[in-house]
Amino acid sequence: MLIVDCDCHNYWLSATVLTPYLSGIWKDMFLEGEKTGPVGAFPHGHRPWFHPQDFSRKDVRPQTEADNYLIMKEKHLDRYDIDVAILTGDEPIEASTLANPYYASALVSAYNDYQIAEWLPKDSRFMGSIIIAPQDPRLAAAEIRRLGAHPRMVQVLASHGSVKPYGDPFYHPIYEACAEMGLPFAIHLGGNGGVNWNAVAPAPTTFFWETHAIFFMPAMAHLASMIAHGVFEKWPDLYFVVIECGVAWVPSVLWRLDADYKALRKETPWLKMLPSEYARRNIRFSTQPLEQPANVKHLWSALEAMDGENTLMFASDYPHWDYDDAKTLHIPPEWRPKVMGGNALEVYKRLPRLQTAFAA
Amino acid sequence: MAEKTFICRADQVETGKAFIAKVRSMSVGVFRVGEEFHALLNVCPHRGAPLCEGPQCGTTAPVDGPDFIYVRDNEIVRCAWHGWEFDIRSGRALVDPKMRARTFPVTLESGNIYVTA
Repeated sequence: MLIVDCDCHNYWLSATVLTPYLSGIWKDMFLEGEKTGPVGAFPHGHRPWFHPQDFSRKDVRPQTEADNYLIMKEKHLDRYDIDVAILTGDEPIEASTLANPYYASALVSAYNDYQIAEWLPKDSRFMGSIIIAPQDPRLAAAEIRRLGAHPRMVQVLASHGSVKPYGDPFYHPIYEACAEMGLPFAIHLGGNGGVNWNAVAPAPTTFFWETHAIFFMPAMAHLASMIAHGVFEKWPDLYFVVIECGVAWVPSVLWRLDADYKALRKETPWLKMLPSEYARRNIRFSTQPLEQPANVKHLWSALEAMDGENTLMFASDYPHWDYDDAKTLHIPPEWRPKVMGGNALEVYKRLPRLQTAFAA
Repeated sequence: MAEKTFICRADQVETGKAFIAKVRSMSVGVFRVGEEFHALLNVCPHRGAPLCEGPQCGTTAPVDGPDFIYVRDNEIVRCAWHGWEFDIRSGRALVDPKMRARTFPVTLESGNIYVTA
């Protein structure tokens, strides 16, 4: 069975690996400027919560930059027979927190070049993400067009922290570029600090676990906004991928969106279908961290209500502390071929069609 | 039939970190808790992660208000993946004592550690 991991983090020990990919004032600022933490930290506006035991699994302990791949290969890719791993970086999506969009854009460009030069060649299972700094959609669109033809770059990726909900016309240049290059637009949990100040709707919560558990809030807003603003009418073939935001909340939000749209359709006359119909056609969700109720049937009935067999895509979040492994993912067994890899082949059209593996 | 397996010399087990060894076909972590030694199967009952590769640590005492009393230092192992806390002596999960990591008897003979499994 084909296994595609839609969220595999390629770590570094130090952001200074980006130095060779920066130039001019950006290299100067990166080396000489203030950072969030000691030398080696990636510049970003930090969130107001600190993880009490840090993000990485404790059995992943790289000592050198080379270890980051070697350990991933041993403890994740080989061990769980991962056929394709979509690299999602780690700190670079946090560039979305910086007020200076020019610096943020230079940082993500440097990361994208580093990823292409130093990660993709390591393993034929790796596919890349074009990370963008969405606070300047024109620069983001230019970055998408700069790298969008690379055969192993399979999506455009931003954090789920943003200055506005992602359906806002402010961001439409990004989707225009995605559509032009034939790439999905994905958001990954993160970037909830700096200019993205309203990470949690009422105001920041207090503790890390409390916050992490409800961190799908911005994803709810993005889902509603992408549908309401008609992004999927303008670009009907665009896939919007929601990574690491949980899934069991999706049906209830779609029920609410459908009910309110039916009453107040007149506000958004450009829409032609129910919100849930756009979601079914254009939006996909990565599984991790899959909710763990005491009775798994309660989860499965929620997943059924969102047509999970066709809308979910497996993700591990390697090497983070809330990692899901490919062997014990608690989904209905008959869904496994689609959720573990089949759905990803539909979304990530550049993935090699490993049909033999899929059939096997 | 349980058998006794030599693991290591007692002075090879440091406080703070399990000594991980093969016992028959199993991976087992031996911990030093004060002067005692305890052994846990290196498989977390939550999701099968390498439990014993996480830090040996303490935790906060249950209290009724905002007091943060760090207790049981080195009596707890925090699983390497998801961070669930387990009592090293009993193998029980702190949040759910019904969940239990497998423990094995440890014997110390002439400075050598043995695990019976």
